[in-house]
Amino acid sequence: MARMKFLCDAERCIECNACVTACKNEHEVPWGINRRRVVTIDDGIPGEKSISVACMHCTDAPCQAVCPVDCFYTTDDGVVLHDKDICIGCGYCFYACPFGAPQYPQEGAFGARGKMDKCTFCAGGPEPDNSQAELDKYGRNRLAEGKLPLCAEMCSTKALLAGDGDIVADLFRSRVVRRGGRPDTWGWNTAYKD
Amino acid sequence: MSLLPTAMINKADAAQRRQHSYDEGEITKKRSVCTHCSVGCGVVAEVQNGVWIGQEPSFDHPFNLGSHCAKGASVREHGHGDKRLKYPMKKVAGEWQRISWDQAIDEIGDQMLAIRESAGPDSVYWLGSAKFNNEQAYLFRKFAAFWGSNNVDHQARICHSTTVAGVANTWGFGAMTNSYNDIHNSKCIFIIGANPAEAHPVSLQHILRGKERGGKVIVVDPRFSRTAAHADHYIRIRPGADIPFVWGMIWHMFQNGWEDEQFINQRVYGMDEIRAEVAKWTPDEVERVTGVKEADVFQAAKTMYEHKPGTVVWCMGITQHTVGNSNTRALCILQLVLGNMGVSGGGTNIFRGHDNVQGATDFGVTSNSLPGYYGLSQDAWEHWARVWDVDYNWIASQFDQASYEELNGSPVSPMFTNGITVSRWIDGVLEDPENITQKDILRAMVLWGHAPNSQTRGPEMKAAMEKLDLLVIVDPFPTVSAVMNDRQDNVYLLPAATQFETYGSLTSSNRSVQWREQIMAPLFESLPDHNIIYRFAEKFGFADQLCKHIAVNDGEPLIEDITREYNRGMWACGYTGQTPERLKLQLANLHTFNKTTLKAEGGPCDGEFYGLPWPCWGTAEMKHPGTHILYDTSIPVAEGGSPFRARFGVEREGQNLLAEGSWTAGSEIEDGYPEFTSDMLKELGWWNDLTAEEKAEAEGKNWKTDLSGGIQRVAIKHGCAPYGNAKARAIVWQFPDPVPIHREPLYTPRRDLVAEYPTYEDRRNFYRLPTRYGSIQAQDFSQEFPLIMTSGRLVEYEGGGEETRSNPWLAELQQDMFIEINPADANNAGIRDGRQVWVEGPEGGAVKVMAMVTPRVERGVVFMPFHFGGHYQGEDLKDKYPEGTAPYVRGESCNVVFTYGYDSVTAMQETKVSLCRVRPA
Amino acid sequence: MMKKIISIVFATFILSACYEDTSVTLHEPGVYKGKRDTQTMPAEEREALLKQRFNQVQTDR
Ligand code: SF4
Ligand code: SF4
Ligand code: SF4
Repeated sequence: MARMKFLCDAERCIECNACVTACKNEHEVPWGINRRRVVTIDDGIPGEKSISVACMHCTDAPCQAVCPVDCFYTTDDGVVLHDKDICIGCGYCFYACPFGAPQYPQEGAFGARGKMDKCTFCAGGPEPDNSQAELDKYGRNRLAEGKLPLCAEMCSTKALLAGDGDIVADLFRSRVVRRGGRPDTWGWNTAYKD
Repeated sequence: MSLLPTAMINKADAAQRRQHSYDEGEITKKRSVCTHCSVGCGVVAEVQNGVWIGQEPSFDHPFNLGSHCAKGASVREHGHGDKRLKYPMKKVAGEWQRISWDQAIDEIGDQMLAIRESAGPDSVYWLGSAKFNNEQAYLFRKFAAFWGSNNVDHQARICHSTTVAGVANTWGFGAMTNSYNDIHNSKCIFIIGANPAEAHPVSLQHILRGKERGGKVIVVDPRFSRTAAHADHYIRIRPGADIPFVWGMIWHMFQNGWEDEQFINQRVYGMDEIRAEVAKWTPDEVERVTGVKEADVFQAAKTMYEHKPGTVVWCMGITQHTVGNSNTRALCILQLVLGNMGVSGGGTNIFRGHDNVQGATDFGVTSNSLPGYYGLSQDAWEHWARVWDVDYNWIASQFDQASYEELNGSPVSPMFTNGITVSRWIDGVLEDPENITQKDILRAMVLWGHAPNSQTRGPEMKAAMEKLDLLVIVDPFPTVSAVMNDRQDNVYLLPAATQFETYGSLTSSNRSVQWREQIMAPLFESLPDHNIIYRFAEKFGFADQLCKHIAVNDGEPLIEDITREYNRGMWACGYTGQTPERLKLQLANLHTFNKTTLKAEGGPCDGEFYGLPWPCWGTAEMKHPGTHILYDTSIPVAEGGSPFRARFGVEREGQNLLAEGSWTAGSEIEDGYPEFTSDMLKELGWWNDLTAEEKAEAEGKNWKTDLSGGIQRVAIKHGCAPYGNAKARAIVWQFPDPVPIHREPLYTPRRDLVAEYPTYEDRRNFYRLPTRYGSIQAQDFSQEFPLIMTSGRLVEYEGGGEETRSNPWLAELQQDMFIEINPADANNAGIRDGRQVWVEGPEGGAVKVMAMVTPRVERGVVFMPFHFGGHYQGEDLKDKYPEGTAPYVRGESCNVVFTYGYDSVTAMQETKVSLCRVRPA
Repeated sequence: MMKKIISIVFATFILSACYEDTSVTLHEPGVYKGKRDTQTMPAEEREALLKQRFNQVQTDR
């Protein structure tokens, strides 16, 4: 069975934010919500590196473990999704998540937080595939169309890879062999146990 | 809990927009090209019921393989167009009023005709755009010619005009010689004065592939840019010291015998004079002037020598200087010394800016040439009059009949003299009429697809806008032009459609011509640029001449007919083979092109290069594949080979300017030869290779003016390049500095170098205007304004930024205009990161921006991005925009502080070195 | 001295962790309570498609 993973190749990432706007574009994500973002270390000095981060779709996802209403599930493809209909926007998953992925839209006049939103690996949610309900709540479902997440598909340098963990790792390994140096699978130790 | 990331309330006006479900109707796919930079990334749009509902990666596309940067990945936002200018508007007593297209064209046209009557045709300035497609650019230049003025120009003037002039005068054509994809084959990638990781992000895909295949990346820049972060070797240089640095590298090459002797002997003229200049640039002197240590210069030179072929990449860090033309030539010479020209993996990979700035340049939206670099000579006008099939005398009669300049002692008509450049239009308004070499000052200004905030001297521009009789802005957005001035009346805003709302061809940086399909109908009341051009032509009474051989449907000149018309005239740079049919066929077969060589392997385009990169010689029937790599002599001309162009005569001071012992594969003339003419064909005994029809047309013509294409066909049949086979020239004897020499910037902090490396003397008439050099440099501003100020780009925005700052997906990522300042300078001035500061320049401009304290810039240097606008000297101009059109993000334009200074050949503006001071606000 | 600082840091950590823990670790993760996610395509079929897609789009070529 395929197991979807993200990998960002820090040697190639140029902090161009294509992945971020591709995500906004595909799902019409509103201003202030960022399912994906780019983090830069050592900004402006030799050694500067950038990594594009979103929900990693962890094995035994910590968000899932803390959710008081049990709204998370993991799909056959290893994608961690949630049901917004029962999410209460409590914010626990944000604290549990090692990658700071969950986001909460501002809703209502008193600043009450809305339902959690995060990267879906372009796989929608628990509504019928590509139905209007799925689209409105979770965005497009590319996996159901045989396509992969748009952020990776549009990455300017093909730094960001998304797909079955084994083929992602194979491609990355061959790249590292060609260029030399250490393979740095950023975030994988934290996120994946399989 | 307040730590949780929640949406910002104040940006609630970035409306939540509904996604369209796939079930709502049939979905068609349209192929277009990103409009945000010259890489030319393919875009695939999904359209449903006329609405652009989805964007897919164009993974078959040879340039981007599906990739985009932030801008390209967000182009579908154009389909929303919330902040667009929605209908024609006019400012009356300080208020914006909606008007109809008819009223707008009538009122503007009447005023222009009145100005024409009283002040002559040169008092109206037609500022065009690199956002036009090729057809629109060509039509716009033709339109200006029929209006009767050379006061027409576009952004190329302020981005790569110095490249075009410097490079074309070195070896023939002023364009990128290889391609982004070809960098896969580079063993060394030398990037100077360019930040492609932000300005041309998808090019990094190719650069990093070159790097992963063993290529060494060297980045020379005053800033440790995001490109520098990926370099093997980063070298920090003082802004404005590029020539000394390059000479310093070549000094080591000559010292160690690293030059390519054979290449230089066969294919380069004038290297001895370069040797003499380079000899002065000893490592000590280089360090004194550039700040770069000998070890770094030596290492860069050695890396380039040891890793061949190597390519040189440059952008605005090289071009936007008073010595811009010399900078570009110095880099050409570097490649000539190494013999890196005309080879895969080598070349000068000059990254152009806007998506179609190469095309708009080729089609002559410039004040110094007609389409195809024919210039403004009588021959050029006669050539185009023949192509247009209009009477030459009628065109001449449209111009001002008086003369204001002399050429070789006799007066010349303004028809043959360079017009005012876009960089100087403000002086065309503000200068004393006595000093301008045309009838009168500029009285009407048309900014057609141009961001004023990309130009220096903001306060003077504001004054110029206010002094004009008439200000017309044609653009999809109101632009900063609509708000930066305090005019109360007589400003018109005409909504133009974007390139996603029309179709046609464009030329990407590597000279590839691509075809765009129309994605959606023009939004709101906007019209495509060629419709608007046509409407003005109707008003002025020359629409029939303008479209004599172009079908017009419903007020829209037929794009394909325009392409066919320029195919009949653009012989000089080989735009004759790219017919609409061939371009569309390539578009349908993107997947057949090799992603490194750009050559189609099988399929209907077999053997062609992607985009038929110009020169694509002869008529389309010749099936020339285009020229992927310029000056590559290893393949026949018929297959895309070429020698250096014979453009500068055959002999000078007894020395042979033609190539010696070098020719393209299969050439029947196995030596240098001049450009082809009908006489030359006769001398060679090849005249009878022409058909009877070709003979009739070719008689007395040359390869550039023979409309039958016969001369080109026969030359190529015999393996020869139509333009001859010459040496590249290291010295350009017509230029102010035949050998590139260092000259300190006008606003230099290094007063100790001014006496030795002074700038030019002031000039009386340069593109119709007096131009100052020495009189500015003579003053010392460095005490009061101690910091060197430079500018550049951010990945999220393009140019003046109006379009991209109106796109919420991009705007959210860069919300504040800022200045990068070194921690030491910040601490000395009491400036804290993230706080507001005032940046003040020596000409009186000041901007209030956010401080970004970072070691990215060194001590003594500050950097600002130039994409912001909508604030002016501390004030937000939001309320001056027509309702609902203010961009999401507004900020100060750095060019309010940037100062005077123009290149000595092209009048390119100096934006890479000036002085300023910074204090807490 | 050093020891003292470390113990203070440690204590703060415990304190804050305590507060968080009351709300987080008392919860027993249960079974997913949301709607069942129906898939239009069998997982195997999708796997093959996605693999093909990966090679088409994300490799260097
Ligand atoms: S990255 Fe965060 S949100 Fe995503 S699965 Fe892991 S814990 Fe959950
Ligand atoms: S698109 Fe790719 S290169 Fe650009 S920021 Fe995202 S991961 Fe990095
Ligand atoms: S801006 Fe340039 S690099 Fe970015 S997607 Fe558009 S064409 Fe490609």
